[in-house]
Amino acid sequence: MDKTFKNTEKLYRAVYPPEIADIFWKKDGSISSAAFADPKGLSVDRGNYRDDNEVIDSMRERFKGHIVSLFVKNCTDVNAIVRYLPSKTNIYHTEIHGDATTPLLSKSQRRALAKAAVIITPRPL
Amino acid sequence: MIIAKQMDIRANIKEFFDMAYNGETILVPRKQNHNVIIMSEEEYNKLNQASRITAYSALLTNRIDTELKIHNKQKLASIRSMKKNWNGNGAPAFSKKLIDKVENLLNKLVIQPEIFPTALGTIQFEYDNSRRDHMEIEIGVSEVAEVFIVKFNGEELTENINVTAEIINERVQSFYG
Repeated sequence: MDKTFKNTEKLYRAVYPPEIADIFWKKDGSISSAAFADPKGLSVDRGNYRDDNEVIDSMRERFKGHIVSLFVKNCTDVNAIVRYLPSKTNIYHTEIHGDATTPLLSKSQRRALAKAAVIITPRPL
Repeated sequence: MIIAKQMDIRANIKEFFDMAYNGETILVPRKQNHNVIIMSEEEYNKLNQASRITAYSALLTNRIDTELKIHNKQKLASIRSMKKNWNGNGAPAFSKKLIDKVENLLNKLVIQPEIFPTALGTIQFEYDNSRRDHMEIEIGVSEVAEVFIVKFNGEELTENINVTAEIINERVQSFYG
């Protein structure tokens, strides 16, 4: 797989914890920026231009919660770094970092990504 | 509003009633401050309706706030139960000290926030106002919290505040303007 990303590629974020799936949902149905805070870098699956359903099926093998999607452009627009970091168990594993040296996204970046995120699995009740 | 003596009213009752009918309010001072107001039925009905709307609005706001308070208590109980690695990437569990601190704050806040856990071991308070400004206050075990505001036009502001219910209430009141 190409290590670089085009702005049009989708990234998919599993929203943990699956057993309390509505913990990050706001009253207005959007997702909180708190779901995008991770000091180790924000883990996502790169889409590699697969169909949404194919990605969901693949993620469902490892995860039961909800999934949101973003475009690489949403990350580059706020100067976040998208790093392709495949693992033995997940060839699509990718991380979004705040900058070249800081894995944690800034508050501003988190808020921008939360606003851009599209909920692709049904919103929890 | 005009002020008229009882004796003037008595002598010119039709004129005063016509004035009231045409929208004027007449105050009639009486001994021991037993004053009366003369106004048209239409004005009285308007006032009565406005008073009922205000009371209903206050009741509704209070009910929404009570519901959010109950929801926040339930959510805080869920956050308390989240174990280490709840995000699948090594996030810490939430300390009892932080949960107790947040619970205490929520009990004293005039306007309830929406609350969310973060993988940094903190709890984020969020507020959104009718102008579409957004405010986050990240509460940790530290005495100081960072306030992050994104205004509707994209302008961003950051400031540090001491974490007390009084200061958060002041900050939130200013946010809602």
